[in-house]
Amino acid sequence: MKLELTAEHRAFQERAREWLLANVPHERAPHEGPAARKFATEWVARCHEGGWSGLGWPKEYGGQGLSPDRIVLWYEEYVRARAPSVLDCTFVALNHAGPTLIACGTGEQKDFHLPRILRGQSIWCQGFSEPGSGSDLASLSTSAVIDGDHLVVNGSKIWTSYADNADYQELLIRTDPAQKRHKGLSWVICDMKSPGITVRPIKNMAGTRHFAQVFYDDVRIPLTSVVGDLHDGWRVAMTTLSFERKTAAMGLQLDLSVKVEDLIALAEPRPGTSTYDRLAQLRAEAAGLRAMTYRTLFRDPVTPSDGSLMRLYFAELAQRIYRAAMDILGPEALFDSHWSYDYLESYSETIAGGTAEIQRNIIAERILGLPRE
Amino acid sequence: MTFDLNLNEDQRQICDAATAMLEANYPVGRLRSGAPDDLAQLTEFGLYTLARPEEHGGTGFTPTEEALVHVLLGKHVVSTRALAGSVAARLTTDTLPVCAAVESGDSLMLIEPSENGLSLIFGTGKLQLVRAASITPAKSLGDGVPVGRARLVDVTVVAETTQQKTILLADLLVAAQLLGVAQGALDLAVSYAKIRTQFGKPIGAFQAIKHHCATMAVETEMLSSLLDMAAIAVTESQTDVAFQVAALRLLAPKVALANARTCIQIHGGIGFSDEADAHQFLKQAHILSRLGNGSAVLDHPAPLAPHHELQGGQFT
Repeated sequence: MKLELTAEHRAFQERAREWLLANVPHERAPHEGPAARKFATEWVARCHEGGWSGLGWPKEYGGQGLSPDRIVLWYEEYVRARAPSVLDCTFVALNHAGPTLIACGTGEQKDFHLPRILRGQSIWCQGFSEPGSGSDLASLSTSAVIDGDHLVVNGSKIWTSYADNADYQELLIRTDPAQKRHKGLSWVICDMKSPGITVRPIKNMAGTRHFAQVFYDDVRIPLTSVVGDLHDGWRVAMTTLSFERKTAAMGLQLDLSVKVEDLIALAEPRPGTSTYDRLAQLRAEAAGLRAMTYRTLFRDPVTPSDGSLMRLYFAELAQRIYRAAMDILGPEALFDSHWSYDYLESYSETIAGGTAEIQRNIIAERILGLPRE
Repeated sequence: MTFDLNLNEDQRQICDAATAMLEANYPVGRLRSGAPDDLAQLTEFGLYTLARPEEHGGTGFTPTEEALVHVLLGKHVVSTRALAGSVAARLTTDTLPVCAAVESGDSLMLIEPSENGLSLIFGTGKLQLVRAASITPAKSLGDGVPVGRARLVDVTVVAETTQQKTILLADLLVAAQLLGVAQGALDLAVSYAKIRTQFGKPIGAFQAIKHHCATMAVETEMLSSLLDMAAIAVTESQTDVAFQVAALRLLAPKVALANARTCIQIHGGIGFSDEADAHQFLKQAHILSRLGNGSAVLDHPAPLAPHHELQGGQFT
């Protein structure tokens, strides 16, 4: 076990720090609509010009091909510079769709999409959850029939973040009705401008409309847009799981340490007060999360589910931090601010991408080996 | 590779050897007899000289390996005399038995004191090796390990240190033991949940039990990750060492106590009895929690604190 910063690491840190200092926008990112898209895509384009887009992507696909140690140092500088949250409308493209195409896409799919994603020229959204398939994702029923060289899609997806801003969607649909659950699904690229798509933005409890329900009414998708093999979509969806520990999600985890620092600066706690103790606890927990982030990157996992421990700790710590922020703000918490907004947004942390309860089941069954229900 | 959190070959070997030695000599079930631990096996194992340079008769390991071994001691609820002895080896080359002690008002509370032995006081900002003139035996929490009390005025200091490096090492080893307790409680709870049957299935199949176990696993993983960071920081004398150890030392008792508590709950009736081992983890967590108190987490800049608060980056 060692963590040793070489002279090269230091030079890299210095370069990242200087670039961020000169380039991080001073204004806060808008939460929704065309303004959110404009802000996020301009930021990705700027990162691309500076050579900071697609950090973990292989060089042959236009990425930077950086090793995990460089990537974690970049994100540490990134969050310390208060750079825009990585979880904006470019997140799915850069961290999910792109890596999936790299792993499973055709040459044509890669040539078309990857450069656009890296330059912030295309926005992607995710089409996995359905009104009837939340935690039980494999029960999904949005389906397609083959008509010549096209798929014809009918059904609906929900909780699709940035659907109104997106150019493309990674869409998981049932293409073989004879097969059940994980079998008979396909992972397809859906052009969001296709006729038959209706996007109904959904206002969330934080008051913004960045997610939506998407309806598909005889939407025609060329078979050339299937990623991986037809009916093999579950495997394609699972492929990207192995990318997750190297994605910008680490930026979100490290950012909680910075949020605690900002909260300490805001509260100016005095020793002997309960606020002081609470912030000490949160600061230690954020260090714990950072340590988990490092372990996930630099220790070989024992089971493929190991990352779920970190994801759950992250989600619940985020909520504890924002609850503390509300208490520290006092009556001011009743007014809109980035703290109160982030507080409300943080309710999604234990729901999106697998509820805390589902995560606990996964941990209990796949890591601890407890019997299935 | 300069960023590597896998155990290296030396670390795997020392952990395997320690595990084998502990399983053979210190299975947790031994505690039911109520007899004090005979620590001769640990001396033979070289516990107290693990980190001593080879030219001084030690094994030449770093605090990282030493911490990993103390995690395993904690998991086996080995007497805190082993911990006290490991820290005392930094203050003296004397081989007298040493017990852990903590100040309380005008008296000194001693955990498993022995006649003519020394006591190591895990104080705030200093470690003191002392001899207590007269020790009055007392009843311990829940009829656990023997304890004694001495008046501070009857205590003579044999050796002491305020050296930060040694104090951080002591805090690291205390936290390592607490992590071990947390792991031991988790393992015991999970293995019981797999075999105890109610309503026709193992209780571990019920989400209420699963979720308790998962929570224990998450907290244990967090603490274990933090222990690695702190151990490396101590070993490599990194600039953030005081913060990493303080954070670890703050969280370790909470995780150990919570896991011990949940372990008892998962055991149900037998968990409340003296006949199961669940309560041993709880009592050991309470003892360890009183040893050393670290420094305040907010006194030292965190790794991702604003640049002006950090001089020279997070590692050196």
